[in-house]
Amino acid sequence: MRYFYFIQYFPSIKETAGDVVMWMGIFLALIGLGLGALIGFYIPVALPQDYAKYMSVAALAALDSVFGGIRAAFEDKFDKDIFVTGFFSNALLAAGLTYIGDRLGIDLYLAAVVAFGVRLFQNLAIIRRYILKN
Amino acid sequence: MPQKTSMYVSIMLVAAVLGLMLSVQFRAVNHASNGISIDRAQELTVELKQINKEKEDLSIEISDLTFKLNQIKQGQTEAISALQSELNKVRMNAGLITVSGPGIELVLDKPDTNTGDTQISPELMIIQDEYLLSALNELWGAGAEAISINGQRIIATTEVRQAGSFININLNRVVPPYQILAIGNPQELMDTLGITGGLQEYWRDLGIKVSLEKHDDLTLPAYGKK
Repeated sequence: MRYFYFIQYFPSIKETAGDVVMWMGIFLALIGLGLGALIGFYIPVALPQDYAKYMSVAALAALDSVFGGIRAAFEDKFDKDIFVTGFFSNALLAAGLTYIGDRLGIDLYLAAVVAFGVRLFQNLAIIRRYILKN
Repeated sequence: MPQKTSMYVSIMLVAAVLGLMLSVQFRAVNHASNGISIDRAQELTVELKQINKEKEDLSIEISDLTFKLNQIKQGQTEAISALQSELNKVRMNAGLITVSGPGIELVLDKPDTNTGDTQISPELMIIQDEYLLSALNELWGAGAEAISINGQRIIATTEVRQAGSFININLNRVVPPYQILAIGNPQELMDTLGITGGLQEYWRDLGIKVSLEKHDDLTLPAYGKK
């Protein structure tokens, strides 16, 4: 996890076992992201207009979860079960909240947008600090 | 190591799902910008609802007006039929249509010339127009509805006029025997002619051959038709 350290000495391969795990994780995450994006761009079905709103909030929640996971990794508290369950439950909860808000005529998705947006920036700030500290 | 593998798998899965969501969303939003915005769609939906309601109102109005139109048409047909029946009645009274009904048949024939009865003067040997006129008068007076003489319907402009040894009716020459058909109450028509001192007696006294019969169903020709 000594990020800067790792960057500095990347060619010399002096990293610890933890560093290997983390870089492997980031590498695989990027591959997964590219794979998912590829699938998303090439599947023939387009998302119906009505569900675009739900999907956008769900994507925001998912993004927040991922940043939360990165932050946890920097804090050395990463747990894959919490990460995976948090990812899906956040996304589903955000979409469900939006749906209920639509039914009730309240813009409940704003709550999800605000909550996840704030957390997103908090996570980013913490990640930034970790990187700058090291 | 298996724990690490499962962690990699979960990270990859989550990343893949995130990528999928982002790309799908990206496509949807891009697609939306080309199409119709949600607000516009809602606006159009509201408009559609309003127009549908308007349409319903108008269709109700249509059925209402159709109902009224039908009523008016019905009224019109009733009026037409009323006019038609009025016209029929008038034509019947004017003698322009063939009529039938119960009535009497009166036949006047000239006296036999070979009876040897010298008391009968020659001018009496022919039936005068006056006899027919008085017969018509009596029959009208007794409530006859239609009368014809030898197939000539008697109407308002009909003349019964002596022309030499003939009688002209409706400008047609008629010859004895004179068959007078009258539609009306048969009994009353019979009575008015057969009353004591009435026309029948008078004609008999003159020697004219008179026959008077009731008929249940007489048919009188229309004016101008034989």
